[in-house]
Amino acid sequence: MSRLRYLVIYLSLVVALVLMILPLPDWVQIYRPNWVALVLIYWSMALPKRVGLWFAFFTGIILDASQGTLLGQHTLALVVVIFINMNFYQRIRVLALAQQAIYVFVLLLINQLIVAWIEGIMGRPTPLLAFFGAPFVGMLIWPWVFVILRDIRRKAILK
Amino acid sequence: MQIILQARGASLQALFFVAISVAMMVVDHRFNHLEVVRTNISLALTPLRYLVSLPATGGNWLSDWFTSHTDLLEENERLRAEGRILNARLQKLEILAEENARLRSLLGSARKIADDVIVAELLSVDQNPYRQLIEINRGSSDGVEIGFAVIDDFGIMGQVIHVNPQSATTILISDPEHAIPVQFVRSGTRSVAFGRGSTTQLELRYLPATADIMVDDELVTSGLGGRFPPDYPVARVTAINEDRVRGFVTVFAEPKARLDSSREVLVIKPRLQSRQQ
Repeated sequence: MSRLRYLVIYLSLVVALVLMILPLPDWVQIYRPNWVALVLIYWSMALPKRVGLWFAFFTGIILDASQGTLLGQHTLALVVVIFINMNFYQRIRVLALAQQAIYVFVLLLINQLIVAWIEGIMGRPTPLLAFFGAPFVGMLIWPWVFVILRDIRRKAILK
Repeated sequence: MQIILQARGASLQALFFVAISVAMMVVDHRFNHLEVVRTNISLALTPLRYLVSLPATGGNWLSDWFTSHTDLLEENERLRAEGRILNARLQKLEILAEENARLRSLLGSARKIADDVIVAELLSVDQNPYRQLIEINRGSSDGVEIGFAVIDDFGIMGQVIHVNPQSATTILISDPEHAIPVQFVRSGTRSVAFGRGSTTQLELRYLPATADIMVDDELVTSGLGGRFPPDYPVARVTAINEDRVRGFVTVFAEPKARLDSSREVLVIKPRLQSRQQ
């Protein structure tokens, strides 16, 4: 039974993945926040013992396969972001939501930097607006992601 | 001490994962060994793709359901008229096709006139804003293979680059990494049209300044390279950019196919290009 509760984590990641592959009009597309990164950051903050680098690695591979990017591109970005988060989560957890959001913005920017960097190496430059736009939207959405996932976590009594 | 050890363990683990990711990217970019992994994950994600395409499908269904009677009558009338016109044209075409076959046989080149096609529907559009890929709902179990051309009712859309059992990924001719061999209908000049990442523009680079090209010229596939069947409409010239210094001309053309709005597509099996005597 207690094992079953952790399904919530996987379910939330699946929902994030659906949000990532949902077709959007071109002009909204570039502002699509990295839902998977947001959800993963939350869980690694809330349950650092359970959601760590292994999680980031496998989620990244699935994200890469679904996005048509190089296998390893999002993986690398997520592993780095979650690793940074593992070193800071204790200090960040106690901050106000707005302050957390700024921290998340930095994490998403690092994520974006790595992905865009690899795109750049392969000769596909990322437009400036897209580069900053998506992490910015992610920052604005963070408080809601946090509150919703926290409620879900409390309902499922995950520790 | 324990904490330090843990921290060091995490760093090592992170380094390990980073190394694996980089190795995977290199392998994925240079070779095809990871194709299996990608195919299997894509296959597992197929239900999600269907889920995601549900709202669009549902929306279409609803709007069909609520189409009013008069609208239907009107549409019926219009379609009937269109059917008559098309029939008339078809007759002409059949005569031409027959004549063509006769002439070809006279020339001694046996070539199949009718192409085998597979009807497919769009499953999802390009998730990556920097690429132009679409997913269609026919895969290897329907006979689709890598390299098959994909068209809509207006012209060439792209080619299949990746096949799963139930779906296939198609690269559009507008993808920056795609190039298609074309021929100008009017002058017969051959060239290659590159994608530019925009669904409304293709680019033909380094044409000689003396080439006979005009705005509104039609481009069709030349059939060279063996990927695309010849003589399918590709694009229409919209702009000609002369580079006097280097003596080259760059031509911009608008794709005929509705790359951003077609839902029904046809996958063409390449015809046998046999030239038997």
